[in-house]
Amino acid sequence: MDNIKLEVKKFLLDSFVNESETGPIEDETPLLSSGIVDSISSLQLVAFLEEKFNFQFQPHEVDQDNLNTLNLIEEFVKAKKG
Amino acid sequence: MIDFSLSKEQESLREEIIAFSEETLTPGALDRDKAQFFDRSLWEACGQLKLPGMLVKKEYGGRGLDAVSTVVALEALGYGSADSGLNFSLAAHLLACVVPIQLFGSEEQKNYFLPALSDGRWIAANAMTEASSGSDAFNMEAAAVKGPEGYILNGHKNFCSNGPVADVVLAYFTTTPGKGFFGGISAFLLEKGKQDFFASEKVEKFGVRTCQMGEFRFTDTLIGGQGLLGKEGAGGMIFNTSMEWERICLGALHLGAMEKQLEKAISFARTRKSGGKSIASNQAVSHPLANLKIQIESARLLTLKAAWKLDAGKPAGMDAAMAKVQLSETFRSFATQLMQLYAGKAYREEHEAQQLLRDAVGDSLYSGTTEVLRNILATHMRLK
Repeated sequence: MDNIKLEVKKFLLDSFVNESETGPIEDETPLLSSGIVDSISSLQLVAFLEEKFNFQFQPHEVDQDNLNTLNLIEEFVKAKKG
Repeated sequence: MIDFSLSKEQESLREEIIAFSEETLTPGALDRDKAQFFDRSLWEACGQLKLPGMLVKKEYGGRGLDAVSTVVALEALGYGSADSGLNFSLAAHLLACVVPIQLFGSEEQKNYFLPALSDGRWIAANAMTEASSGSDAFNMEAAAVKGPEGYILNGHKNFCSNGPVADVVLAYFTTTPGKGFFGGISAFLLEKGKQDFFASEKVEKFGVRTCQMGEFRFTDTLIGGQGLLGKEGAGGMIFNTSMEWERICLGALHLGAMEKQLEKAISFARTRKSGGKSIASNQAVSHPLANLKIQIESARLLTLKAAWKLDAGKPAGMDAAMAKVQLSETFRSFATQLMQLYAGKAYREEHEAQQLLRDAVGDSLYSGTTEVLRNILATHMRLK
């Protein structure tokens, strides 16, 4: 399941994160609360996760509690996939 | 296969709405616009056709249109009805309030609110914007605090279309400020008379003048947990979804208005003489009108493609931004060129071109300014 974190990190780096500006994106690097992923990028991340892992977010699930780090994202995706 | 034609049902929907609005909504529209007067009986007449609930599922009392057909219907309304403020009121009610209730409401909320919001009995207003956060809706101060009997709401919302005449208010408050826009904001459905809050009189404004815009003040307003739309923390996504619908579909009103005014402008250019010839034969007149035709069609295609994405359940944020920017800028360009065409007549008298110009200015300000929408596009294009 490490693939989830790798896939998400690849998406972030391909899409809107530049590690030379943000520093390295580690498993526990804060993404939303640090501003690395802003509100508009959050929506792109949500769309990516829905398409890549084939599930739907409920509106209240678009939340730092589920999206703030690679570890949290992995945990959330696993929970959604059951 | 790509098919750009309207279905028979969409053709008859268009004809029905144009016939109704030309006969019922247009008479007296310029006078109402000048007086900034909202005629609730006209809203009720729209309700008889269930236009305020055109995209509400039939089981909840609406007409059950999809997003593409909603664009067709709103364009027909903009074409047939010269009461641009009433048109705007209806679209704001539909897209910023009715859509979120239909998409995110509980079965109980949908059964309770949607029939009356569809048949003209009730009008809804969206309350998001605050004095310190306009298009940047991410710095909200209004707050909801959970207590034993429900939530206590405090805050001040302004620029609320339909506010002074609203029976239902969809209002947004922070519930967990530290989480920010996504996860930190919640949406509440309030009813005039059931919850205690202050709704101002109308605020005078520049465009879409028959739409009544006002403010809401919430001072220790108590609302039970059943007033929450979606779950706590869902407000950011609910608002974002409603803005995508509004950015895509509301502009269809202006497409219709521009198409109607283009027909009138062509007729005027062909009959108005200068130096013994119609001014239409002058390329200084004909080329700008030809260019406007291209711009209107471009905006229409972007709008319909974005609406198709809504229907297909595909991400539509970038398409919504592109459609809205193209339409807003076409609208403003159209309105200024129309003033140039009619010249002194439109400048001196109460004239449709004046109304269109006032309406066009507003379109690049609400539902996200064109600058904010270009920022969204830039992010999608990986430029930020």
